[in-house]
Amino acid sequence: MPPFSRVERRESMAERRPSMSYTPPVIPHLEGLEKPQQNHIELDQADVLILGTGLIESILAAALSWQGVQVLHLDNKSYYGDSASTLTIDQLKKWCIEVNQGKLPNFQDAQIYIPGGKSTNKFKSKDYGIDLTPKIMFCKSDLLSLLIKSRVYKYLEFQSLSNFHVFENDDFNKKISNSTSKEDIFSNNSLSLLTKRNLMKFLKFILTDNKNPEKKQLLFENSKQTIIDFLKGQFNLEDPQINELVYSIGLCIKPTTKTPEAIAKIKRFLVSFDVYGNFPVMISKYGGPGEISQGFCRSAAVAGTIYKLNTNLVDYDPHTKIAQFSDGSNIKINEKIIISPTQLPKFLQSTYNELVNDEISPLPTYNITRLITVVRRDCKEWMSDQESSAIVVFPPLSLPTQNNQSVQVIIQNGGTGICPSGQSIWFSHTSEPDLNRAKLDLESAFEKMEASLLRETESNLEKNLNDEDFKINSSANIYSTTPIMVNSFKLGEHLQNFVPKEKLEIVCKVGFVQKTLINPDLTNVFQASESNNVILKSPASSDIIFTNMLSSELSYDGIITETKLIYSKITGSDEDFFDVDFEDEDDEGNDDYTRSSTTTTAANTIANAHIDDANLVHTKSTTSIGDNSNDIAIDDDDDDDNHEPFGTDVDNMEL
Amino acid sequence: MSFPNPTTSVKLVLLGEAAVGKSSLVLRFVSNEFQENKEPTIGAAFLTQKCTIGSKVIKYEIWDTAGQERFASLAPMYYRNAQAAIVVYDITKPASFIKARHWVKELHEQASKDITIALVGNKYDLVKNDSGEEDDSENSLRKVSIEEGQNLADEEGILFFETSAKDGFNVNEVFIGIGNHIPESNNNSNNPLGGNSNGNNEGRIDLTSNANNINRSGGGECAC
Repeated sequence: MPPFSRVERRESMAERRPSMSYTPPVIPHLEGLEKPQQNHIELDQADVLILGTGLIESILAAALSWQGVQVLHLDNKSYYGDSASTLTIDQLKKWCIEVNQGKLPNFQDAQIYIPGGKSTNKFKSKDYGIDLTPKIMFCKSDLLSLLIKSRVYKYLEFQSLSNFHVFENDDFNKKISNSTSKEDIFSNNSLSLLTKRNLMKFLKFILTDNKNPEKKQLLFENSKQTIIDFLKGQFNLEDPQINELVYSIGLCIKPTTKTPEAIAKIKRFLVSFDVYGNFPVMISKYGGPGEISQGFCRSAAVAGTIYKLNTNLVDYDPHTKIAQFSDGSNIKINEKIIISPTQLPKFLQSTYNELVNDEISPLPTYNITRLITVVRRDCKEWMSDQESSAIVVFPPLSLPTQNNQSVQVIIQNGGTGICPSGQSIWFSHTSEPDLNRAKLDLESAFEKMEASLLRETESNLEKNLNDEDFKINSSANIYSTTPIMVNSFKLGEHLQNFVPKEKLEIVCKVGFVQKTLINPDLTNVFQASESNNVILKSPASSDIIFTNMLSSELSYDGIITETKLIYSKITGSDEDFFDVDFEDEDDEGNDDYTRSSTTTTAANTIANAHIDDANLVHTKSTTSIGDNSNDIAIDDDDDDDNHEPFGTDVDNMEL
Repeated sequence: MSFPNPTTSVKLVLLGEAAVGKSSLVLRFVSNEFQENKEPTIGAAFLTQKCTIGSKVIKYEIWDTAGQERFASLAPMYYRNAQAAIVVYDITKPASFIKARHWVKELHEQASKDITIALVGNKYDLVKNDSGEEDDSENSLRKVSIEEGQNLADEEGILFFETSAKDGFNVNEVFIGIGNHIPESNNNSNNPLGGNSNGNNEGRIDLTSNANNINRSGGGECAC
């Protein structure tokens, strides 16, 4: 491969001479300039300024800029994602310190525990991508529709998640896995015929069209009823099935969850099943909200949004509309300034406090307590063959701590790209308002999972463990101790006094509390008003809109709704939210091989396009997409665009 | 790891100072076009182009910086699983060459270890008449000599080309050179974050196949 003829060009006088002899360059030759980035933002004005690159803010930036709005998108951190970021262990250490220094509003009580020294606990920080707010994506959900419509999915990789475990009677004996259809979800041999029939009756009810008068009537009559009483009273279901339906399938967190909310959540699971295969949920590889935020930021950048990290808003004059930034730039903001709660500039702190805590309708704050543990185990015991993640749910009162609320855990191993292979990360959280209880609940759930894992692999224990596994003497329990110890936690040297237990080998354990103004049941998102949601609360006359911290919801539900609230507040309506027809990238499609595979994919699409969610339970034509039968996967997508996905039905992605 | 498809997908990222011709270079390669006064961005996701090299077919997924490089604000996503990178500078702008050096360093830090990097001095069309009648170096637009480019490439152990996106000179050679250099591996790297995505499609869901279905019915907030 002769790249070019060097001889020919050497004959040039210009090339024979060293470049020094040319007119002196403006910048001294190869001197200085280690960092080539500009400092000032060369921009006179922008329409909208967004502070914080969290999930909602990033989707908003992309939505606005694709409508031709000039967006300036800044973050005071050195990374994307804001409070929804995906961090390395080193970043997480720094993050914890900042939380405890009070530099990150709405986070508190951060603790990080890394056992052993550098010799016994070897890891590379960069190998980890730890989400501050991990989430799972239902296969039928508004965010997924938007990812496809906006083409942001092309920057991401999704993997299936089909294993949901419920902890019950001190065991994880219920598994929703390996189901080939919705009917099989409950294919537990121990179920009596009567129970099975009651379950089927309920499934049929839940999948009936919402407009069905009988269903409407029944739901109306029971709108104040808790789901537990409803399932017992109307369908004669028993506790194990109820637990599974309400806490695992429905991912509800409290026994007091009202029937309509719970029914919607159970249905969300069921209609998501079989959309892409025999699983209801996906997770994005390499990280959840942090990764998706980056995807939307990239999309926004392509549409013209200007990005700058490590930059604060220092001042803003509402009369001249000039915003001053920490890098010294002054930019006129024509329309609105959107500010995430973790990016709040000092000069706006009192404005924000007054808005949130006004006398008429002060907004309640909700706590989310999280415990994230990186363990040296792949936890395949809890996952299907092809999968790398699982959900574990501890229903209320299932733990020795008598937990009032569910503890929900996402488990992801190295196959999801967030940690090295042979390891996994357990992301657990609870919305328990009492922080001491919350921490005890999470620690107790951790112990149960650990015990279960050790028990499940007991037969292999002797073979698998070597001396290395027993070196760690300090207990990993950062919560199951006296509150004093918890609060006096110090980086690197904490918890050494605890009773050593023979345990799972831990790489890193992180705990923290996040605050949010979003109710765990998302009522102030789906029924947002000026009195319950800070987005709508800020007066129309104000140039500034404050956003919310993410909720405790395990799925991405509510994210798009919230983004649209802000979008409407800026533009007056959400009618043109991502109303974009992406016509580029279609130049290709001249390859015979690709073309034939496209046909197959298109056929699948047509076959599935007519499945209405109301009769999904009866439909059976599983096209198991996503397993190894489909290696071509995304390779052929650009050719697909000619056929259908983005063209026809783009307006129907509304919830 | 049996791939029925002989096509290898390669994620290729572009780096370099603004206005050195990153997008033009790609546009020339992808569609054999050159647009004067091109708007400084490209398509919605990334451009793709197949490239046949001997018996293998490489499908490049080419990611443009979309301007996010300007304030050192490229996301980790940009570098992840990139198997190839083109660092572009303008041979008439020495500052752009200095920045190229920075980007090579950045790639060594951020990207996977086995990434194939090509250093490309663009805008050769502006200097190619130098050897002709106008043999006066004082008037030459060239400010970075070919030796300087080659030296940097040699130091860093990367490929080097001078190109003209405007007339197409040497552009295809860059992509062929990269294609020849990319290891034919589909092994999973030990480092999952900076690893090689090639052949690692296990469990990956093809979202395009059911996109219509999804768009049709939405979900999540069913008003039961």
